[in-house]
Amino acid sequence: MKAIIILSALGLATMFVGVYNFKKALLPMILLGLLAVIGINTMEWNTNIHYYNDMLYFDNWAVSFTNLILAVSILVFLLSGQYFKKNTDHLEDNYSIIIFTIIGAILMVSYSNLAMLFIGIETLSISLYILAGSKKTSLASNEASLKYFLMGSFATGFLLFGIVLLYGASGTFHLHGIKDYVIENHASLPTIFYVGILLMMVGLAFKISIVPFHFWTADVYEGSPTLITAFMATVVKIAGFAAFLRLFFTCFSSITEHFVPILCILAVLTMFLGNITAVYQNNFKRMLAFSSISHAGYMLLAIIALKESSFIAILLYTAAYSVATITAFAVLLMIKAAHQENDSIDTFNGLAKRSPFMAFTLTIAMLSLAGIPITGGFFAKYYLFANTISAGYTWLVVLAVFNSAIGVYYYFKVIIAAYFKEGSEEKLSIFPAYQLVLIITAIATLLLGILPGLITEMM
Amino acid sequence: MIQNAWLIPLLPLIGFLILGLGNKFLTKSLSGIIASGTVLGSFIIAVTIFLGFLSGENKATTINLFDWINSGTLHISFSFLIDQLSMLMVLIITGVGFLIHVYSIGYMSHDEGFTRFFAYLNLFVFSMLLLVLGSNYVIMFIGWEGVGLCSYLLIGFWFKNQDYNDAAKKAFIMNRIGDLGFLLGIFLIYMTFGSVNYAEVFEGAKGFASGDSVLVVITLLLFIGAMGKSAQIPLYTWLPDAMAGPTPVSALIHAATMVTAGIYMIARSNVLYTLAPITQTIVLFVGLFTAFVAATIGLFQNDIKKVLAYSTVSQLGYMFVALGVGGYSSAMFHLTTHAFFKALLFLGAGSVIHAMSGEQDIRKMGGLKKYLPITYITFLLGTLAISGVPPFAGFFSKDEILALTIGPFSNIIFIVLSFTSVLTAIYMFRVFFLTFHSTFRGTEEQKHHLHESPATITIPLVILAILSTVGGFLGMPRIMSEHHFLSQYLAPIFEFSDLKSEAKAPSEFAEYTIIIVAVVVLALIVLWAMNRYIKKASVPPADDKQTPALRNLIYNKYYIDELYDAIIVAPINWFGKQFNNIIEIQMIDGFVNSIGKTVIWGGKTLRLVQTGAIGFYIFVMVAGIIAILLYNFIR
Amino acid sequence: MTEIPLQHILFLSTALFFIGVYGFFTRKNMITMLMSVELILNSVNINFIAFNKYLFADKLDGIFFTIFIIVIAAAEAAVAIAIIINLYRSHKSIDVDETNEMKY
Repeated sequence: MKAIIILSALGLATMFVGVYNFKKALLPMILLGLLAVIGINTMEWNTNIHYYNDMLYFDNWAVSFTNLILAVSILVFLLSGQYFKKNTDHLEDNYSIIIFTIIGAILMVSYSNLAMLFIGIETLSISLYILAGSKKTSLASNEASLKYFLMGSFATGFLLFGIVLLYGASGTFHLHGIKDYVIENHASLPTIFYVGILLMMVGLAFKISIVPFHFWTADVYEGSPTLITAFMATVVKIAGFAAFLRLFFTCFSSITEHFVPILCILAVLTMFLGNITAVYQNNFKRMLAFSSISHAGYMLLAIIALKESSFIAILLYTAAYSVATITAFAVLLMIKAAHQENDSIDTFNGLAKRSPFMAFTLTIAMLSLAGIPITGGFFAKYYLFANTISAGYTWLVVLAVFNSAIGVYYYFKVIIAAYFKEGSEEKLSIFPAYQLVLIITAIATLLLGILPGLITEMM
Repeated sequence: MIQNAWLIPLLPLIGFLILGLGNKFLTKSLSGIIASGTVLGSFIIAVTIFLGFLSGENKATTINLFDWINSGTLHISFSFLIDQLSMLMVLIITGVGFLIHVYSIGYMSHDEGFTRFFAYLNLFVFSMLLLVLGSNYVIMFIGWEGVGLCSYLLIGFWFKNQDYNDAAKKAFIMNRIGDLGFLLGIFLIYMTFGSVNYAEVFEGAKGFASGDSVLVVITLLLFIGAMGKSAQIPLYTWLPDAMAGPTPVSALIHAATMVTAGIYMIARSNVLYTLAPITQTIVLFVGLFTAFVAATIGLFQNDIKKVLAYSTVSQLGYMFVALGVGGYSSAMFHLTTHAFFKALLFLGAGSVIHAMSGEQDIRKMGGLKKYLPITYITFLLGTLAISGVPPFAGFFSKDEILALTIGPFSNIIFIVLSFTSVLTAIYMFRVFFLTFHSTFRGTEEQKHHLHESPATITIPLVILAILSTVGGFLGMPRIMSEHHFLSQYLAPIFEFSDLKSEAKAPSEFAEYTIIIVAVVVLALIVLWAMNRYIKKASVPPADDKQTPALRNLIYNKYYIDELYDAIIVAPINWFGKQFNNIIEIQMIDGFVNSIGKTVIWGGKTLRLVQTGAIGFYIFVMVAGIIAILLYNFIR
Repeated sequence: MTEIPLQHILFLSTALFFIGVYGFFTRKNMITMLMSVELILNSVNINFIAFNKYLFADKLDGIFFTIFIIVIAAAEAAVAIAIIINLYRSHKSIDVDETNEMKY
């Protein structure tokens, strides 16, 4: 909770500091602020406080997801210094909007009232519509922004309609109120309640890009400024899944028969479509977009299993996925900074000769995304699949394992490009901030794979 | 000492880290010393522990390093299982591995990526040790993927062209099919037994009835993994292609260690397999078919490394046959001797290729005897060993497997396998004579360069040659000695399986027969091959020339020889060609390629759905919502 | 005078919702699409107030939610207009079908 207040203050301060021409001080201030917020947020561990008439509830899940979001944001901010160096016109605006996006994400992981969920989603989304279009002169950026906005607001309409139907049936917005209502009227739930669940599911599925609500993902990822894509691909996924799981686990875990069959179908569609489409992509950002769709498919298994341990599964998975994705985008940004080229996978050709360090970290990231031991990605997948099996959905895991085999194909395409293909011979220098990010992410990826107990035993 | 066994995999890992991080600062000789030194260190530790097992001082121990994950129902500890089986594998990996490291110092000395090469080699050794030392299936899987990755990196070490990419892609898809089976098997094990630890799984499995369908499915899935890694039909064609890598890699990874991971896995899971007789039969026949097919294809290859690759596939088939009839310790025995002589043969081939400045075609060699004396002698010993000439290593291990196959399935297995062993001798002596005897057929320039390899190359050859010569005494047949060292050493591991299966010991008569027949047949083959390749100096035709077989037959005065050709050699040749064309190229490669093609085609097609038009996106979204609601109402 | 039954109001709001969906579907003008989204949001508002008044009149939850929606819809509209204007500058058109630069 304190995190939200401090971040709001930080966001406002950022805007004003920018006005008074202290642009050099901006980034250090934000980074320090975010670190402080992580510390303060961690102090709420095990306190389980309900804030504002139970509008927000900071249990341990909320605290840990918040910390994950903040940590990933710090990495993104570390990358941003160099990224905005050339274009400092609206630096403070960009920064403060990113901070407000983070606030939206934190609301999404800590809400205990549907009103807060709605506000969180909208804070996140509206900020992202702006960020997606923040490269004002670029046609692709504008188009991405428009597509995201039109489809996003349409999905919000369904989400709201779902909320109103739930409200009409149960008369409350509180998660625990809805839960009590479900338990009391278990036998005779009205139809509008079911439809409400399904419509909310649609609204949330849009945010985490589940097929068939995924179409925005590839276009928006490609068109948005690369740094924003990195932010979107990580923070939005974390917040979206945490929100999805929080709602369905708290309220609907006793009536799974009404939505789990549908989720199963969606998960299968998502995995197959994401993986198969990614195989033929030549644009690295688009490939990562489809890969993010396929990962959403895997993570949906945790929501299908709908157990307490699904939280750990999602936490581990989003952490491993985010860290690896940030690495991939950092390397892409670094290569693009050296010489203006497209986002094609061919830009990685010969990377091992140009910068062995970057090639190595990129390899670790790709292995993690592909789910090869001893990286975090493997362990997260293993945990997620084992969790799903113990909930009794073996057939889904079989399909998921099959899909992850397809996934390896396109992740290795990047590794092959980096090591075995001839490319430009020119050495790549690397900015210190990027080096720091790559070191952190590589260590984190390996640590998550070797000692995942650090996270799982804490929970 | 046994408590320090965690040092065994740690040392190569440290070596990898030093070499990987200090890539720029290390001189060639220093990195060679670091890489071999760490492996040697592991070997020494392994030997002390091994001796402890021999004296009965050490018992099977689990060393728990840390709790990898411990939450809810899921407990996986990162721990090593130090027992007789894992220590045998560790000895092979570090021992043969060390020799190959030393060899590589000489072999790779002119390569610019010297340090990188040794870093990969050390990483490979580490992964392989992880695979055999892990005390549960998940750690085995980690090692499994690790060795696959290293093999991928090392095959591609020299090759940046399209051919390599295609080969690597094929290797990759096949191994993924295998890994898929293995991973699903692990999940199924976890679901059935609630644990992935060997001890708990095997204890739990003993409660199942023999032939229980769950066990059959588990063992089949694991076997799919083994087929991929150990190159069995239909997942074997990647192995010959993998010969594109440097020769030490072929020796270490594609002959002595990685490809035997499948054998190790099944031997480790022997409790499960013994309780699933149906799977055992499948293992048996897949192994048999592979052994035969690969041997016939091997008759036809003119690339010295390709011959050895097909021979490896064939010998692995032998081991699977042994596993299939329940002779787990015989399979491990053959694995051990095979590691010696196949590593020797590959390294010998490497020495030849080194001397020939990269030439691998045996048609362009010949007469190398006088230029490469040490290589010649060691290669001869290796050839004798693999052909099963007594008293060399291959003789004992191979005849033990042959003896096991007498009886079941009305001896058909025994007959096919014996025939395969004849083929083995034929193709090995063919290579041997074509390479070392007769006159030199290469260019003048190559002839000028011919030289014996340096000591770093010849010393490992000599050591391996000694091992290939005496390695067989690890397990003497009953008629010669009361004491079968290896099977007694491994007895605690296979206790349950040995109890379950009926007495497998072959009769003394059978053993005598096999030995006598083997010696006589081998002598005939050697004579025939000498006649054909030395006396007549027959050289296989170039690829573009058709053999005028019929004309040869009529005009040649050695007509007995040619008759023999027509009746026996020609049909075998025909088989070899058919297997190569139909099974390998059309069926297996076709199948694997079509999987890849389907996925790529799917990607090509599906991406067109992403039209870029918002109207279409929204239409699909709404259609999806309507479908979801309809589904809910219909139900 | 008898009160208007809840069903009638729900019918109105549902009709409004689907008119919004229909408009979103068929119109290619970005401004019209924005208006359609507003229709959807307003149908939700009507629903909220109706439910609150007819079913749960003792608390004002639904009405407050409506206020949230109105505020956020305003913010959304502001952002949307900004995006559309920016797009118009580069495209000289506000037809959505012309924004298909990125595909496949």
